[in-house]
Amino acid sequence: MDFTNLAAQLNAGAILPEGIVILTLLVVLITDLIGGRNASNWTPYIAIAGLLASVGALFLQWDITNPVAFFGGFNSDALSMVFRGTISLSAALTILMSITYVQETGTALGEFLMILLTATIGGMFLSGADELVMIFVSLETLSIASYLLTGYMKRDPRSNEAALKYLLIGASSSAVFLYGSSLLYGLSGGETQLGEIAKSFTQNPNSPAIGLVIALVFIIAGIAFKISAVPFHQWTPDVYEGSPTPVVAFLSVGSKAAGFALAIRLLVTAFPSVSEQWHFVFTALAIFSLVLGNVVALAQTSMKRLLAYSSIAQAGFVMIGFLAGTEAGYASMIFYLLVYLFMNLGGFTCVILFSLRTGTDQISEYAGLYQKDPLLTLGLSLCLLSLGGIPPLVGFFGKIYLFWAGWQAGLYTLVLLGLITSVVSIYYYIRVVKMMVVKEPHEMSESVENYPEIQWNIPGLRPLQVGLIVSLLVTSLGGIFSNPLFTLANDAVINTPLLQASTPAVESIAQLDITD
Amino acid sequence: MLSALLLIPLLGAIAIFLYPKPQSSRAIATIASLASFGWSLYLLKLFDLNPPELSAVQFSEFHTWIQPLGLNYSVGVDGLSLPLLVLNGLLTLISLYTNRKDLERSRLHDSLILLINGGIAGALMAQNLLLFIIFYELELIPFYLLIAIWGGEKRGYASTKFLLYTAVSGLMVIVGFLGLVFLGDSGSFEFSDLDINSLDLITQILLLTALLIGFGIKTPLVPLHTWMPDTYVEASPSTTVLLGGIFSKLGTYGLLRFGLQLFPVGWETIAPGLAIIGTVSVIYGALSAIAQRDIKRMVAYSSIGHMGYILVAGAAGTELSVLGAIAQMIAHGLILALLFFLVGIVEQTTGTRDLDVLNGLMNPIRGLPLTSALLILAGMASAGIPGLVGFAAEFIVFQGSFATFPIPTLLCILSSGLTAVYFVILINRTCFGKLDNSRAYYARVTLSEQWPALVLTVIILFLGIQPNFLLRWMEPTTNRIVAELHQPARIEIAQNLPL
Repeated sequence: MDFTNLAAQLNAGAILPEGIVILTLLVVLITDLIGGRNASNWTPYIAIAGLLASVGALFLQWDITNPVAFFGGFNSDALSMVFRGTISLSAALTILMSITYVQETGTALGEFLMILLTATIGGMFLSGADELVMIFVSLETLSIASYLLTGYMKRDPRSNEAALKYLLIGASSSAVFLYGSSLLYGLSGGETQLGEIAKSFTQNPNSPAIGLVIALVFIIAGIAFKISAVPFHQWTPDVYEGSPTPVVAFLSVGSKAAGFALAIRLLVTAFPSVSEQWHFVFTALAIFSLVLGNVVALAQTSMKRLLAYSSIAQAGFVMIGFLAGTEAGYASMIFYLLVYLFMNLGGFTCVILFSLRTGTDQISEYAGLYQKDPLLTLGLSLCLLSLGGIPPLVGFFGKIYLFWAGWQAGLYTLVLLGLITSVVSIYYYIRVVKMMVVKEPHEMSESVENYPEIQWNIPGLRPLQVGLIVSLLVTSLGGIFSNPLFTLANDAVINTPLLQASTPAVESIAQLDITD
Repeated sequence: MLSALLLIPLLGAIAIFLYPKPQSSRAIATIASLASFGWSLYLLKLFDLNPPELSAVQFSEFHTWIQPLGLNYSVGVDGLSLPLLVLNGLLTLISLYTNRKDLERSRLHDSLILLINGGIAGALMAQNLLLFIIFYELELIPFYLLIAIWGGEKRGYASTKFLLYTAVSGLMVIVGFLGLVFLGDSGSFEFSDLDINSLDLITQILLLTALLIGFGIKTPLVPLHTWMPDTYVEASPSTTVLLGGIFSKLGTYGLLRFGLQLFPVGWETIAPGLAIIGTVSVIYGALSAIAQRDIKRMVAYSSIGHMGYILVAGAAGTELSVLGAIAQMIAHGLILALLFFLVGIVEQTTGTRDLDVLNGLMNPIRGLPLTSALLILAGMASAGIPGLVGFAAEFIVFQGSFATFPIPTLLCILSSGLTAVYFVILINRTCFGKLDNSRAYYARVTLSEQWPALVLTVIILFLGIQPNFLLRWMEPTTNRIVAELHQPARIEIAQNLPL
């Protein structure tokens, strides 16, 4: 094998975005080591610049002709690019909100950023991983970094407990996932590449063998843990409540997006012969997540726990698009994850802001906030209403696209359940809005009464403000001007060979319009 | 042209937030709603009364918006929506001038009202089903906040109930529309592209039921009405004027537009059932109103009854009855707004709405003579006394529906007598009798506080004497809607009736 051939096979340019993030990580680490405490004035911005540069690199590579890299270990197709972009952006927004939060607790910012960037790299590689070992390595990179982030506030017993819980459940679910992967390796006669595995199963038509089904179930257990689908969700509320809030924000979007990327690639590529079975399992997961996530969220008193159950429920909505399995289905799923990024991170930014100023995140403490902090009230209200799917906010368009795709694919029960549970969700989202907006001045909670004067020029608060305004703009106007996002999501599906091969020829509206 | 009706209130709402002084919010809101009301009047003038046969929707605008969803910005008006648009503008203006004494947080209040105005206008002119849903759901949060912030004692309960019911209503409409577009193979949410006739009857009826529940909650029809008395009673007068006057008309508008016009065959099949639901609503509304001790609750229940007429008329599906249905929507909007406005004044001045406490408001010196006089007139209009717009509308409804559903129509006529009963009770207990000397030191109600009521009264009187000014805009549209019902026999009957 001569060098040019090797270089072509390696195709290392395909992982340029990850390369940039790795480089940023090293720069952050070294600056932190050399500069000590003073370096934390710079490191967050270096990290954000690096993440944005990686998104830019993804943008430039959009029309990549040869996506397969590293001897088939990594696939840089349009699907992976969208997910890598989402994860990278969610990390960038997370950094914006974590600067003050981490510094206030007296822990080192540089290390935090480094672990967060490692998790980002893991998630980005997971989105394009096309081979069992590669999948597991990147999954573990993401998971181990997440455990560390969860327990980062090491003096807070709740953070410790959350980290322990997350670690125990996460490690066992990884083990189950690994057992499924090793079964796949054995069943396919020694193939680790997803495409080859699928080929080996289609060649002997007596599938689905019981071994394949067991492998499938084990692998779904690992995936469902990442996307926190019921009944693999138990870690979510406790971890969300205990961990540092920026970490929760990252877990709810970045880690979840990575989980969905893995789900699409692994299940669609490697398990076409048992697609009926995994559709069945995921339907059950979606139904449980929608019902439990939304109903239990009704009874929460802590804002972070509320958002935890809401994120379980939102995963249920995304699964509708996944189950539809059509072009519109995948596109709606990508679109929803993209906009979920901004709605959820906007919501978490407000939660962080509030707890920075008052030191609590109980829902009842938000009472009467509109008088003291109108921007925060507006931001949190818009983000929550958007999560509930109220027009003309972006969440409405995301949900209606999911429902429309689901309806087209014939998932009537799921769509109906989605609609009913989204009414339930409006109830608990508006409960918070009611606390903030409706309460009279004399019903103000104690923390709001002692609310500090709003100052944005404290170091680290500007980035928080920028993050809030960016997510607010996307949340409120992104729906009305969502055509580029829709095009992006659709292009990502159309440009991805693996999805094209798997989708049945359903006439979507988009196709009709093109042919007309 | 039409987009102005959407943009002006929206820009007004933004301007209120940009302009810092709280006192100026009413001025900005007034300018914005005057502008959009004036514009809708201008459109009324431009409206072509004899449109060419096919292009029934006028002032159309079309922009593709989000292709993958099939969502286009496609608006237009016809005789069903234009009068309601004008009503929307008028009632917004009146709502802004209802009970304003030291209103707290007036900036938020006025911008919410402008948002509602824009949202309702959008829903009325949308020619794309998804666009309709967007505007239909858009009112949810502003109304919720209006009730929850400025409402009465039990506003928390009422606003949440309103929110949940209305959200379910939106859900049923979405289900109906998704089903309609996907099963109908039209591949587009565009109203003009829909072809329902390819669906079999069972599917049509299923979809129609979903729409009926969705719009029936909003109308409201018995038995989906239970949110309504609580909400109307707890909401502030300015909110109630909008809620009862125009927001509830979205329900009947939806029924006529998406039920009657889209599913002619399915509608025909279930029409007898609809007529029965309508009649039950009418009788139930009237009987419940008689039993109330609270004047606002009485008016609220009267609204259920009057909306029932619209369903009966729509079910009958003759040219005359459909015309009557639209006329009744406008008439009811005007009368209900007037009633709620006056009840608001009575409550604010006397501090009570209790029938057993109120007395003798007709007293020219110490009572509220003008308010009581207008209240009597409004009650008469609501009860269907000739010379007022309520009579004109109801009479057309009865005459149009009688041929198709004689018994429900007769029952409706009977219970319009019951309407007179509870309004007589109301007027007797509040306006007549003697003032209670111990508590009758009411603040003076100036003329300037009552001009919205005077304006409404003049319109009600004028349209009652000259109903043609109401009907001429609707007639071409109703003729077209009914022509699509494929009922040659019925059209003959309707044509023989004098208009």
